[in-house]
Amino acid sequence: MRVRKAACARNAWWCLPILVTLQCGSAWAQVDLTGEWAPRKYNDHRDIGDYTGIPLNEAGKLRAASWEPNQVDLPENICRRHPPELGFRVGPSDLSIDKELDKTTRQIIAYHIHSYFSEETIWMDGRPRPSEYALHKQAGFSTGRWEGNTLVVTTTHLKEGYLTRAGVPRSSKATVTKRINRYGDFLTMVFIVEDPVYLEEPYVGSETWVNAPDQVVSPFACEPVAEGAILPAGKVPSYLPEKNDAIDEFATEFGIPPDAAKGGAETTYPEYIEKMKTMKKLLRTTKSHYQRQG
Amino acid sequence: MNGILIRIFAFALFVLPTADVLSQSAGTGSGRATALNELTGYWVSVVNEDWRLRMIVPDPRDYLTLPLNLQGSKAADAWDPAKDVAAGEQCKSYGAPAIMRVPGRLHIYWQDDNTLRIDTDSGTQTRLLHFEGAPPPTTTRGWQGYSSASWVGQKPLSTAGAGRPPSQGTLPGRQSALDRRQDVDTGQGQLRVFTTRLRAGYLRKNGVPYSAEATLEEYFDRFTAPNGDTWLNVTIIVTDPQYLVEPYITNAHFKKIPDRAGWDPTPCRVDQPR
Repeated sequence: MRVRKAACARNAWWCLPILVTLQCGSAWAQVDLTGEWAPRKYNDHRDIGDYTGIPLNEAGKLRAASWEPNQVDLPENICRRHPPELGFRVGPSDLSIDKELDKTTRQIIAYHIHSYFSEETIWMDGRPRPSEYALHKQAGFSTGRWEGNTLVVTTTHLKEGYLTRAGVPRSSKATVTKRINRYGDFLTMVFIVEDPVYLEEPYVGSETWVNAPDQVVSPFACEPVAEGAILPAGKVPSYLPEKNDAIDEFATEFGIPPDAAKGGAETTYPEYIEKMKTMKKLLRTTKSHYQRQG
Repeated sequence: MNGILIRIFAFALFVLPTADVLSQSAGTGSGRATALNELTGYWVSVVNEDWRLRMIVPDPRDYLTLPLNLQGSKAADAWDPAKDVAAGEQCKSYGAPAIMRVPGRLHIYWQDDNTLRIDTDSGTQTRLLHFEGAPPPTTTRGWQGYSSASWVGQKPLSTAGAGRPPSQGTLPGRQSALDRRQDVDTGQGQLRVFTTRLRAGYLRKNGVPYSAEATLEEYFDRFTAPNGDTWLNVTIIVTDPQYLVEPYITNAHFKKIPDRAGWDPTPCRVDQPR
C-alpha cells in the first residue's frame, strides 16, 4: 500500500486532468431546481364547457360533458389530491422543491416537489419502472433525467384524473412528460400529456414560477366526510349525454361556436380560425363576464 | 507501457470534453457554428393554451391574467382599432412581445452565420436574431426591435444518456423501454434572445399595451416528444416599467412540420386573430 501511494504521488501530474475533468463534468446540468417557487398564473382559467385547445377525441368530449361539479363532494373525492400535471397548474400551486441525497455517494436519489394540491417524487437513481400492473397512484411513478440543463420527467402509473378542474378527463393509461427549465429566477415546466383513451394528439401545457425564498407551502388541509353528509347517500352527480344544460354557457358568453369550444385536435391549429367563420354561434346575452382583469 | 497508455487516456479524457465546453461558454465561432440546438425549419402554432384569447379577437377590457398597472389598464380601455387603421398602425399586435403567440406558421433559417431569421406568415413579419452582441447605437425602433441571441446549455456528453450529469449516470440495463426510447432526443441547449428598441404595441389583440420601454427575454427550447413529434417551446418574458407591475410570462408551443404546406401570409389586421 505504501508503494502504491508513493507511485501515485510521483505520477500526480496525470491525476490532475482527471480531477479537473470530473469537476467540469459535475458542473454540467447541475441546475439548482430546489427552493421555493411562487406561481405566475398567466395561462388558462377554465370554466365548465371550456375545452378549447384540448385535443379531445369523441370519448373525451363525451366524458367531459358528463362531468357535474358536485362530483368533488363525493366522500371518495373530497380529499383526493390533484395529479401533478393539474395540481401544479391550478391555484394555489406554490412549489417547494427539495432533493434527496445518498448519504454515502452524495448522488441525487430523488427530487421531491410539494404543492398544496399535489406531491411528486422524481426518481433520479435509475430505478426500473414498475410493472404495468403495479399500483397506480394520483402522482404516478416518475423518473427524471437531464438533457443539457433541462430536467425531463416521465410519469406513468397514474390513477385516472383530470386535465382541468372543470372535468376534462385523463385516463390511467396516460403518460406525462415534463420539461423543467430554470431561467435565472424563473422556473418553467412544460407538460406533454399523451393519452390513448381521451386525446387525439398530445396536449401541451406550461406554467411558470418565480423564486420566492420566504414562501411557505401550506399543508393540504382536508377533512374526510361521511357518506350522506353533503350529498344524499348513493347519489353520483353526472349528466347523461346531451343533457348537460351548462355545457354551452361558456361558448355563448364568449361568442365562440359551441363545437369549437368542445375541443379536438383540429381546433388547435391556425387554419381553424377560417373554419370558425362558417360555424354556427349562439346568441350572446351578456358582456358583464368580460370585465376581467388580472 | 501501460502507464503511458493510461496517461494518454487520462489526457484525452481531459482535453476532449473540456474543449467542447469551453467552445460553448467562450462564444468562439459564429452563432451557427456554436449552435446547441437545431431550430431551423417550418413550425406551426399549436394553440393548447389561452385559446379564447388567441384564436378569436378578445373583447375590449378582457385583461384576464395580465399584470397591468393602472396606467396600462387606462391605455387598454382607450383601445380604438379604427384609430390604429387610420394611423397606419395595424401591426401593433404583431410586435416581438406578441408575435410568437399569434396563431400561424414560422420559417426559421440562417440568414448568415450570425443571424438567425424568423419569418411569420401571420402579419408577414421578420425577426432577426443577432449573435453579435449589443445593438448598434443607430438602430431605430421597430415592431420587432433589435434582438441579441446567445446559446445557453451544453452539448451532451453522448447521444445516449443525453446530457445526464456523469455523477447521475444510470446503468443502461436498468432502464425501461420507455426511458430508453426517450434517450434518443435532440434537446441540448436553449436559445436565449433579448430584445430592445421596440416600437410601442399590443400584448394582446384587444389593445393591451406595451410601451417603447419594454424589453423582451425569450428562451427557445426544441425537444422531441415521446411520440416522435418535434416541438418548440418559447418562454416569453415581457418587462415593461410603464404598463406592467411585474414581468408577464407566457409560453408558446409549435410543432415541426416538414415543409411550407399551409403557409398563408396575411397582412397585419386589427380585426382578425392572425
